[in-house]
Parts: sequence; structure tokens; C-alpha cells
Amino acid sequence: MYPFHYLRPTSILEAKQQILLDSEAKFIAGGMTLLPAMKHRLANPSHLIDIGHLPELGCVEKREAYLVIGAGTKHMTVARDTLVKSSIAGLAELAILIGDPQVRARGTLGGSLANNDPSADYPAAVLALNANIVTDQRTIAAKDFFQGLYTTCLNDGELIQEVQFKIPLQSTYVKLKQAASGYALAGVFVAQYGPNEFNVAVTGVGNGVFRWTDAENALSKNKAIPVLNHDQLMEDIHASGKYRAHMTKVLLEKALTQLTR
Amino acid sequence: MKITINGTVQDIAVNDNTLLVDVLRDQLHLTGTHVGCDTSQCGCCTVQMNGSTIKSCTILALQAQDAQITTIEGLANQGLHPVQEAFSQEHGLQCGFCTPGMIMSTVQLLKDFPNPTDDQIMAGLAGNLCRCTGYVNIIAAVKSAAKKMQGQ
Amino acid sequence: MSIDHLLRKEDERLITGHGKYSADWYYDGMLYAFIIRSPYAHASIGEMDFSAVESAPGVIKVLSHHDVDEAKFKGLPTGTTAQNPDGQTQKIAPMPILAKDKVLFVGQPVAMVLADTLENAINAAELAMIDYDVLDAVTDYASATLDGAPELHAIAPHNRSITYINGDQAKVEEAFRKAAYVSHVTVHSQRLIANPMEPRAVVANYDARSDIVKLHVPTQGVMGMHGFLSHITGLGADKIEIETHDVGGSFGIRSGAYNEYALAILASKLLQRPIKWVGTRSEVILSDWHGRALELNGSIAIDESGKFLAIKFADKVDLGAFNCYFGSFIGTRNISITMSGVYQIPALAMSSELYYTNTVPVSAYRGAGRPDIAYAIERLVDHAANEHGFDKVALRKKNFIPVQDFPYTNAVGTTIDSGDFIQVMDRALELSQYTSFEQRRQDSAKHGKLRGIGLAYFIESSAAGNVAKDQIRGSFTKDGELHIFGVTGASGQGHETSFTQIAADTLGYPVEKIQYTAGQADQKVIGNSTGGSRTLYGAGSAVKNMCQQVIEKYQATAADHLGVSPDSLSFEDGKWVSSAKNLSVTFVEIIQSVLRNPDVQLDDLSVVGEAQSGSTYPNGCHVAEVEVDPNTGITEICSYTAVDDTGVIISPKLVEGQIHGGVVQGIGQAFYERTVYDESGQLLTGSLMDYALPKAGCITKFTCDHIEVATKSNLLGAKGVGESGCSGSLPSLSNAMVDALKIRGITNLDMPFTPSRVWGLLNAQ
Repeated sequence: MYPFHYLRPTSILEAKQQILLDSEAKFIAGGMTLLPAMKHRLANPSHLIDIGHLPELGCVEKREAYLVIGAGTKHMTVARDTLVKSSIAGLAELAILIGDPQVRARGTLGGSLANNDPSADYPAAVLALNANIVTDQRTIAAKDFFQGLYTTCLNDGELIQEVQFKIPLQSTYVKLKQAASGYALAGVFVAQYGPNEFNVAVTGVGNGVFRWTDAENALSKNKAIPVLNHDQLMEDIHASGKYRAHMTKVLLEKALTQLTR
Repeated sequence: MKITINGTVQDIAVNDNTLLVDVLRDQLHLTGTHVGCDTSQCGCCTVQMNGSTIKSCTILALQAQDAQITTIEGLANQGLHPVQEAFSQEHGLQCGFCTPGMIMSTVQLLKDFPNPTDDQIMAGLAGNLCRCTGYVNIIAAVKSAAKKMQGQ
Repeated sequence: MSIDHLLRKEDERLITGHGKYSADWYYDGMLYAFIIRSPYAHASIGEMDFSAVESAPGVIKVLSHHDVDEAKFKGLPTGTTAQNPDGQTQKIAPMPILAKDKVLFVGQPVAMVLADTLENAINAAELAMIDYDVLDAVTDYASATLDGAPELHAIAPHNRSITYINGDQAKVEEAFRKAAYVSHVTVHSQRLIANPMEPRAVVANYDARSDIVKLHVPTQGVMGMHGFLSHITGLGADKIEIETHDVGGSFGIRSGAYNEYALAILASKLLQRPIKWVGTRSEVILSDWHGRALELNGSIAIDESGKFLAIKFADKVDLGAFNCYFGSFIGTRNISITMSGVYQIPALAMSSELYYTNTVPVSAYRGAGRPDIAYAIERLVDHAANEHGFDKVALRKKNFIPVQDFPYTNAVGTTIDSGDFIQVMDRALELSQYTSFEQRRQDSAKHGKLRGIGLAYFIESSAAGNVAKDQIRGSFTKDGELHIFGVTGASGQGHETSFTQIAADTLGYPVEKIQYTAGQADQKVIGNSTGGSRTLYGAGSAVKNMCQQVIEKYQATAADHLGVSPDSLSFEDGKWVSSAKNLSVTFVEIIQSVLRNPDVQLDDLSVVGEAQSGSTYPNGCHVAEVEVDPNTGITEICSYTAVDDTGVIISPKLVEGQIHGGVVQGIGQAFYERTVYDESGQLLTGSLMDYALPKAGCITKFTCDHIEVATKSNLLGAKGVGESGCSGSLPSLSNAMVDALKIRGITNLDMPFTPSRVWGLLNAQ
């Protein structure tokens, strides 16, 4: 790794001050994506502001119609929490499918969202559940948050504090893992908000997470689920675009059978 | 910075970019924790931190400041941990390079699931690669350890 | 708990984190090395300017080809040179220790930076100014051998090293003319990366007073490593002391010395400091010798009744950028020695084209060509059975070498000494419930799944050995410990356990008092390195011979003790027994009496045993049952059955462990692993994020059994086992996949059978 300065703020306020020290300063929570990138010298922050210990960022609570999870909450916590399981089961199902036990002990919700890897899992949940991403500066709607490959609408130094998920009637997540990395070759999150109202978000098959509106329309009208246009999907050494297109439909079908209709 | 390793509080000097695994190996000469990859896949560096297993190659030493770390060398104070015994008896190791990490993950897995199903075993070892054993005897070792720890 | 209850002697240190691998050595004043590697697959090099590197913080020196040339280092050993009957010999291109005026693969070493910390070395390396003139790269047969293709070596037009031939082409053609049935199949054994869990590393520590450099390095045996390092550096074996304790897996890729080992020796001597180099995983993926990379085109000629008349192969062998170590041997001898498999085939012929590409050089990886030829033969037999309506079991049995015909010499001169193929196959069919498979296929079909069963009968030739003999020294200490010394080094095989077991069993001596250490130079023994599945019977026979000599040595003492003549004594079950007088005395008692003598000299307590053991022929029948979900392309391995003839078994659990490991590496090749280069020669599968290795749960129902058909070719009656798992798994899994998918019109498919590839095949437009 290149050298950098490590700082550990004891409050969000202190974190916000420290991030301003340099335009190349970055927050680090679990570091599950940032540290490997730094070890390969693909990332070169000037400062790492360690927000992994801030208690304000770790919460799981219900606020009226929303399940609120702190940005610093670890995947392992989300996977096991009884409130998560009872209110948004799909989130717990998703969290247990991330990485492996050691990764889940460190990786965080906020870290995953800020990175916006096109094959990450959480973005699918956030999009399907119409979540609000609350930062230290504003509240961002999920549909505005994800901006493409590794890009979000976050400003430099903007800190995600919590994510507010609108509690659905039911939810589930199904994933096809890339055999080497464990990331999603395709991942589908389904959230049902009404008798014929399904939100379907897809990850892993293209440049970033998206709402599969054609499928949502078909489900609302009890019509057959369409197939994605494979020409627009990712084609790599692990899977063809056609396979990804086909599997996205297969995963959605599986997700629907997992929901009790 | 202060950090507790295998029950002993250590006061060590680190750079900001020093990894926990480098502290364990290069400074404390606890070379039982191994570096097997550079993309956080292989799990050879697995240690316990504050009651969970983590990959010590993917955490800065400073992130682990004041934490309680247990490495393979500190797993059993006297004699052998039942998981260690089981790994040997079931021939769940050959070259031994993945073994410390595999044992640490197994200890965690059995904490979470004292009587694990096959699926729980596979999920529990998903972060640990082995190239020698084909995992067959590793899975047998996990099951044997589970029995030992339940007093059977 | 007591250490006695552990399975292997090695285990105590390994399960407690006290193993010592090459990266675990630390010395005061140690310098850290970083290798600057070529970022291009093919480029000529103009100027190399390391001045900024050398003046960077903490840097002590940069080694370039100038330093290597000044030290008069040679390139890496190139292994055997193949020769055809017409006298044509192979074009040979050795890899230089450091690149001079061109680079031929991404990852090729160009310079070594030595600094006080690794971080300083890496930071400094970025300042190197190397003038690369990028050239077009070739990464496969078609592009490499094309007219006008970029040439890697001036001595090798069209990038061809040799087209090797073996067998009787005319006889084979005659057989094909007369055949009632002919079948062809092309199989690819794709390029693989061994990925043992320990990344390679070297620590070198030169002592000026003794003029000896001490080396900690993963090896498969010190003699072999000495030989290679001496070839490169010109230093005698007495100038290099190799101390290797534990090696984290090998699978064939550790036996040769790598560039970094020679460079570490050079650096340590020049700078008079200890030098440490540890590879990262991405780095070793890009620079450990790769494996396999073969295309095998097989044809079989069969008569009306189903008797095999001839087999011929036309093969293509990717050597990578240079001839390194075993690449050539694999592509010539190793894929022809057993090219008739377990069958009686009167006519055999093969040709193999060895060619260069701008990729990592290929050398031995678990099986080194033998799994590949076993794979090809068993696919060919299955293919012929499918095409012409033969029963797969009956066709094989009809052509097996029958028990009464051993020793059997095949048409390319390989003598197989023993085997009982029918017994082994019948056991495999029984354990795998082969005959009731159709019902299971129908049950799967009801759920929309495609089920298939595949069997394969493989045979291997274990290595003949390239050292005159294997020696083992056994030395008693005054307090009754027996120390055994040999050359061959383990990387997980459990030699400390199996060799001491042999000694304990032969002498009737407590195994707790016996220990094996490899690679002690002052013990002055010679022997083969571990490799080619020969160590247990090779070095193990020398252990037995050593024990037999010990018994002979003290027979007179035992006779004295009993008051009989030495001739009247025989030794069994740990004791000398007198035929005449019903008297006996144990070995333990006699050796204790010898050791009690205050005048006994330690030299007197040392014996060197030896054995000359050639190739053995481990063989087996493996049966795989798979279920493919055509909707997802995902395959489940429902069951795997391995019945192996590895001759006499010394340590059953260790033998089984080798089968498990070999089979799962075969599963890796069959379902997970791909080494992908793009057109410019960049390695796309450059880390474990993209190169998929099998994980726990890749196989659940795994049954192993053994039929021990002893061989007379060594003292133990044992055959090798280390590589058999690969030979059995590639063809049984592939045959199972074809069996599952043939209902969809698929008659052949290439590994790896990843979900995307299988689904793509089922849905090809």
C-alpha cells in the first residue's frame, strides 16, 4: 500500500472535520473493498478516516413504516437480527449471501453502497425497497443514488449515516454467485408492496443495479416475465450476456416461489 | 498502539499502513497465521478478533487497536483444542498451510452451530481454501470436533 | 491430549501454527526483494534505466541482466530434449534469469529491487524506466504457428519446438484401413494454475566466512533443487545449503528452481546480507509454472467384435514462452508411455506438436500429461461406444489386459507389471450402483434434470526416477532414538509418518522413537525428489532396505545372546527367532544392549539403505454420477466412487487423502478452472477473484476403496498414488457429463463445465 494517514474520530462531527483535511481523504468502515484495492495500489487515499467504531452508525430499529439500519452495521448483524428477519426478510437473506463469514464480520452496509460495485448485493435491496440514504448532508432517494459503475451521487466527503428501508409486505433475494469471487453474476431482490405490486431490482448483470420495470409491469398484470436484452448486459470470462439475461429471469422466478403469495 | 494478542497486552509500534497480519508475523513472530493470497479469498490469515473470525490480511493494525486477538498459537492454553485434535485424527490437513485459518473458522462455525448441518459447514468454511485435502476430511474433522465438543 | 493420538507426526506443529514455511524465516539485517516484471506479453527492450530506483529511499541495489551476466549465470534448465527417430532434435529456448533485450510473457522477471523494507522496494520499483517496444503476441496454436506470426525465438520458425513422433504409423494406418469401426474425438486439457496455498518464497543468507549461502525455499527434494541451482549459478552443491522444513503444497511446480531463487543467492552474495523474497498470490499466478495446456486428437480403430486394433493421437502441446523443466517431457514421453491405457492394442502411434506462445512456461502439474492422456483415451473409448452402440463396460472388459498376460509390454515399449482390472472395475460398478442407474436417470428426468453416469479406467506410469538410486540413512542415538535421513521432501504427503511407519513395522521398533528428516546435506545420501508419485515406494523401499541391513547387522549379536548360530535365525514380527530351539529375542532388546555398551561409536550405529525402484503402474476405476439442471447449467456431482489399485498400502488414511486431493483437483479442472489470456497476452484470470478454485462442499458423496495388487518392482510392493486422483476424475466426470447431455444431442464438450458454458451449449443457436 502507498502510505497514508490513519485517523480514528470518536464522533460523526469529528469524522466530518477530518474528511476535509484533504480532497483525497476517504472514510473506511470494514475496508473489505477498499483495503484490497489499496493493497493492489489501485486506490491511493491520503487519509483513512476510520468510522468503523462510531456507535451512532450502528443501529437496527423500526421507525413507523421504515426499518432503519445504520451505515456502519455489519453484514453479519443484518443477517442475524430478529427485527430484520421479521420485517424485511430479504435483507437478512441477502446479507448472509455476501462473501463469507470473515467478510461478513467486517463489511458494512454503508461501505457497500458507497462503493457501488456493479456486482454487489446491497444496491439491489436499496433500490427495490425504495430506501432513503441519509447522509450527514441530506436524504437521497435510492433511485437518485446509484449513478453507474462504481459511481454514486455522493459528494466528496459526504458520509452515509443510515439507510431507511420501506417495510414491504414481503421480500426475498436470490443470487447466482461467481465461483471465484463470490460476487453476483446475477442477483435479484424482490419486494412486494401490494397484491400486484412488486419491485424488482437486479444486480450483477450490467454496469450497475437497476429496477427491472418490464418484469414489474408483467407481474402487476399477471403476464409472463420477459427476458432482458442480452446485448446490453455484461459479457465476461465468467458468463455470457445471454446466460445473465436468462438467469435473471430464472432467479426472479425462484424469488417469486420463495415469497408466500 | 495497544492490542491484546493471545491474552497478552502488546504495545507495538506500527505504521498507518501496517496490516494486522504483518504485525502478527513480522513483529511478533507468530508465523502460524499465513498469507496465502492478496484478494481476501483464501482465509489462510484467519484469526479471532473480539469473538468473531476475520481475515487479518484485510484489516489495518490500527483498525484492530485495543482489540482482543486470538491466533492459532493461542487457541489452546494447554494441550490441544478439540478442533485441532479432530483435524489431525480425521487427516483434515496435508501440507498444513491452510490449516490454522481452517481451524479458526471451524472454531467459529461450531460456536454458531454446535451441531452443524452439511450446508452450515460449507457456508462456515466458504472463506477458507484448501488445495491438498479436497475438503473431504476437513468436513469429517468438523463433524468429529462437533461431537467432541458436545461431550460425545 | 497426548500427541500419540494424533494421526501424523507432522500434525502437532502444523495444527498449532508452528510449521516453518519459507516465508517464516527472519534474520537480522534482512533486505527485502521485489521483482520488476514485464507488463507486456511480447516486447523488445531498448534502454533500462534504474537510476531513479537505486537512489530511492531505502534501496540498496537493483539487479539486472548485467549482474546476472557478470555472475555468469545460465538460464533456467530446459529439461529433456526430445528427439525423433529420424534424428530431428527439439529446438530449445531457455528462460534467462532476468530479461535482456526482449520479454516473452506478462510476468517475466526483468529486475530485482533490494531495499530495507518491502514497501520501499515496491515504491522504488515504480520509478524504473524501461523502454518497451510492444510487439504482437500469440497466445494459442492457431496464431502462434501461422505463417508470418510474431516469432518468439529465432531458432524456432513458426514458433515450433518439435513435432515429436512415437509408435508405428504404418501399422496404425493399416489397422485403420481394416477396421470395422472408427471413432475420433478431440479433447482439450486446458491450461491450469496449480495454486498451492503457500505462495512461493525464498530467503537466502550468505556467510562469507564459509562461502556458503543458506537457502530456505520450497522444494520437492534438495538434490534436485541443488542440481538446478548449480546449473544456473555454477555453484557446487557444497556452496548452497538448503534448509526446508515445511512446504505448503507443491503438485509438481516446486521441483524446479525459479528465477527468484538464483537472484536471491546472487543478491545475498553481492550484498552480504540476508535476502527475503515472498511472492504475492497474483504474482505467483502470473509466474508459477502453469500446467496442462494440451489438445489431444484421438482416433480408435475397432474390429467387428469390439476388439481394439489401433489408437493414434495427434496432439498439440503449448510450452509457453520458454522450455522450462518438464514441459517437453510431458508433451512427448509422458503422453505416450501409457497411450494404450489398460487395453491390449496392437498398434499405437502418436505425434505431438510442441509450440511456443507468449504465456507463462508450462511444466509439471499433478500428473504431468498422464491425467491428460488417460482423459483422452477414456473419452475416446466412451465416444466409440456411444457412436457404434457398444456397452461401455463390456467394451472395456473385452480389451483389458488380462491378469495372466502380465507383465505386458505395450506397442510403444512400456511394460506394465501387474494389475487386476476386472476385479477393480467390478468393485467400482458395485459401489457406484452402476447397474441401477437408469432408474435414477428417470427419476431425475421427472424433475426436469439431466442425469448422467460416467466411468473411466485409468492407468498411470509413476516416475522411473532420474537418480541412480534412492538412499536412506538410519542412525541410532545413544538414547535409543532412530533418526532417518533422506533427500526427498514432502509438501503434505506425510513422509515423516509413512517412512517412520515402515521402519517401525520392519524392525518392530516403537514409532514414537523414530523420526524422519529430509534434506540434511551432511548425511550424504542421494535420491530422487518427490514427484511422479514414486516417493513412498522409492524412498520407502530404501527405508525398508536400511532396516533389513540393520537386522542383518545385529543378527550376530542376537545369535550370541541366544547362544545359537546366526544362520539358524530368521526375523519376523520384530524379533529374531531360532528355528532350532524355539528361542527368540526382540530387536528392541538387542539394540538396547548395543546402546548400553559405553564404547559403542555413533558411526557404528549408522546404516545407509538403498533401493532402485523404477516405474509402477497405479490404476483404478472411477465412476462419477452428475445431475445437470438444463435451466441453469448448474451441475451437481451426485456421487463419486474411486476404486484404486495402488499396490500394497502402508498408510491407508494418507493414501485416501491423496485420492481425495487428486480427485478434487480434477473437479477443479472439470468444473471451475480456466486460465484466460486475451489477444494481447494479458492474463485475465490474474487473481483468485477470477481464477476459481473448488471450495468445501464441491463434492459430498465420495466413496473410496482399494484393491491391493502388489508389484514386485520394489521392496514394499506399493504403487504410487499421488497423481491418480486426477487421472480418474477428468475422464469419469467428462464421460458423465456427455452421458447426461447426450439426450440433447451433445456428444463431446470441453472443460470447465461451468454453468454458463453448459447452458450455452444446450442453447446454442
